[in-house]
Amino acid sequence: MTAPVVLVHLYPRRMNIYGDTGNVLALRRRLEWRGYPVRVVPVDEGNPFDLEEADIVVAGGGEDASQLAIAGDLVDRGAAVHRAVRDGVVFLTVCGTYQLFGRRFVTADGAEIPGIGVFAAETIGGGSRMIGNVVVDTPWGDLVGFENHSGRTALDPGQPSLGRVRRGFGNNDMTAEEGASVENCFGTYLHGSVLPKNPAFADELIRRALQRRNGAPVTLQPLDDAVERRAAATAATRP
Amino acid sequence: MIRGRGYRAAMVRFRCAVTLARLARTLSRVAGRGGTAFPGLVALRIDPRVIEKLVASIPQGVVVVTGTNGKTTTAKMITTMLTGSGWTVLANRTGSNLARGVAAALVGAVRRGRLCVDAAVFEIDEAAVRDLGPRLRPRLIVVTNLARDQLDRYGELDTTARHVAAAVAASRIAVLAADDPMVARLGAGRSAESPEGGEIAWFGAVPEIKATLPDDRALYGYAEAGHAGPFDARLTRTTPDGDGQSIAVTVDRREVAVFLQVPGVYNGYNATAALLAVSRLGIDPVSAAVHLSAMAPAFGRGQVVDYHGRRVRLVLVKNPAGLNQAIRLLCDEPTPSAVLIAINDNHADGRDVSWLWDASVEALAATPHRFGAGGIRSADMALRFKYAGIDSWVERDDRRALERLVADAAAGDAVYLIPTYTAMLSFLELLLPGRSPEEVWS
Repeated sequence: MTAPVVLVHLYPRRMNIYGDTGNVLALRRRLEWRGYPVRVVPVDEGNPFDLEEADIVVAGGGEDASQLAIAGDLVDRGAAVHRAVRDGVVFLTVCGTYQLFGRRFVTADGAEIPGIGVFAAETIGGGSRMIGNVVVDTPWGDLVGFENHSGRTALDPGQPSLGRVRRGFGNNDMTAEEGASVENCFGTYLHGSVLPKNPAFADELIRRALQRRNGAPVTLQPLDDAVERRAAATAATRP
Repeated sequence: MIRGRGYRAAMVRFRCAVTLARLARTLSRVAGRGGTAFPGLVALRIDPRVIEKLVASIPQGVVVVTGTNGKTTTAKMITTMLTGSGWTVLANRTGSNLARGVAAALVGAVRRGRLCVDAAVFEIDEAAVRDLGPRLRPRLIVVTNLARDQLDRYGELDTTARHVAAAVAASRIAVLAADDPMVARLGAGRSAESPEGGEIAWFGAVPEIKATLPDDRALYGYAEAGHAGPFDARLTRTTPDGDGQSIAVTVDRREVAVFLQVPGVYNGYNATAALLAVSRLGIDPVSAAVHLSAMAPAFGRGQVVDYHGRRVRLVLVKNPAGLNQAIRLLCDEPTPSAVLIAINDNHADGRDVSWLWDASVEALAATPHRFGAGGIRSADMALRFKYAGIDSWVERDDRRALERLVADAAAGDAVYLIPTYTAMLSFLELLLPGRSPEEVWS
């Protein structure tokens, strides 16, 4: 029997504000529907789990206080995360953890929360919130999700974004950039949750994870995604 | 006491505010416009302190009900028991729970320049309670629970908790949910003898009942304790009974057993809070409880509407905690039933539907029910069902969804309609054509 795909849910207790469990569930079901056994591992602050043993790591958003609470643990894990990213582990970081995967997040109160610098990016909090449904043009088609953040993220020159915003704000209200990517590590402001409504992107994460495990490209068995497409199409038309 | 020109000017402004607001009320009624809050807006524009001045003359004071879920039902329960006990009670029944709605309710109750009520019971939105709570100088405040609710409207839960804390600090008596860790924190370190703030009264349920309804923190993996006791009121038993339930409550050492027309453990909690509130207002809870049995459910909160020979049970949901309460209700329903969950994403519902992923929809897979997904975001709900391993039909159109729900049940059966706020308004228009929400409410 094949060893289960290890799906790590990073900081589920603190960073879970916008239906982030939906991303874990989408990956899990889409693997299981294709016959791959899955082991979901919740990893909270102080849990010594080695992220290099993960196939996919999913982390969500949280309030400023939650970000502060996990920041120390994340910095402690910084070197391990960098090793895992270099090793090709798949990461999806949303909103609050996306911000902390950049170099730093300066909150609206002026407090500086250190990040781990996986993405060459910085975030400044405060000002009006960017709220609403978002459509982003990416290499895997349009991503549709919901954003709600006051942090404005600026990518360094040369840091690739996840895609270009066709509707909504994305990283900030000045550039049309949304999210960031390095190797198999992705950051995004989209929740909603993002993966259930964007099966092509969910499958891209799965494909990359399986390819790393197998050492060879993988072709995924197609699934019936009619409901997924319908949900994305509705969201794309809503304010 | 010598009162100078400043006092006279203030009195003139106050009287103008009340008179013109009442005129605005009459005119908007004549014009047939349902602008319930408009007179309040007029009054506040002329005299920004009109609320403070009017509530000061209410002999038995103001009761404020706030919290994430259960506000409307709890406020209605308190009003029902006070009215049944012979008090004249003013309430903001039309769901106008912001400053203008409260001002409109107050101005509307003025007779010959005076407010002729014994008490006022106001349901106040958690976002408005920081400002309104202190202005109403509540004799008693009830905090039902604090859970995530439409983060795109209210901001973060910690912020909401701070708003509610400000209102609790301004109240003479606070009736707090002991089993809810976020609410328990509001009363931590305060006691009857404490010079800071007023008296705290705790309501909760016995552990066996509490365990069936996880609080918001528990849903997200926090093992945070609520208030450990002692309790001033405790829900000790709840048994489904027809469309409602029978409950037993110990309140201020008195035993109360009563039938409620509303089902669900969460409504048992609401009744417990309401019984403790009336007890602390000096009314015997045992005799007051009699009136609860006669109370019809509040608008959409466990309300049952007959439609084409089916009993349609309406359960409004607004957030993951509320949806979990509804899911709990469905898990306790042994008869295989037709269920429609209808999710809208208009402003009043909250634009963000991410919260569907936070509710324990998976628990429904073990029930014998048949499910449909409706509302503007019907596809999102269908997707949530799909990933929970549950088959569902999808129908975006409300009229066709209702037909399908009814067709899914035999004549005489109960069906469950679980909508968000604006979806509920739309379905009520279909279920009870031509009736305004206010009529349906009362």
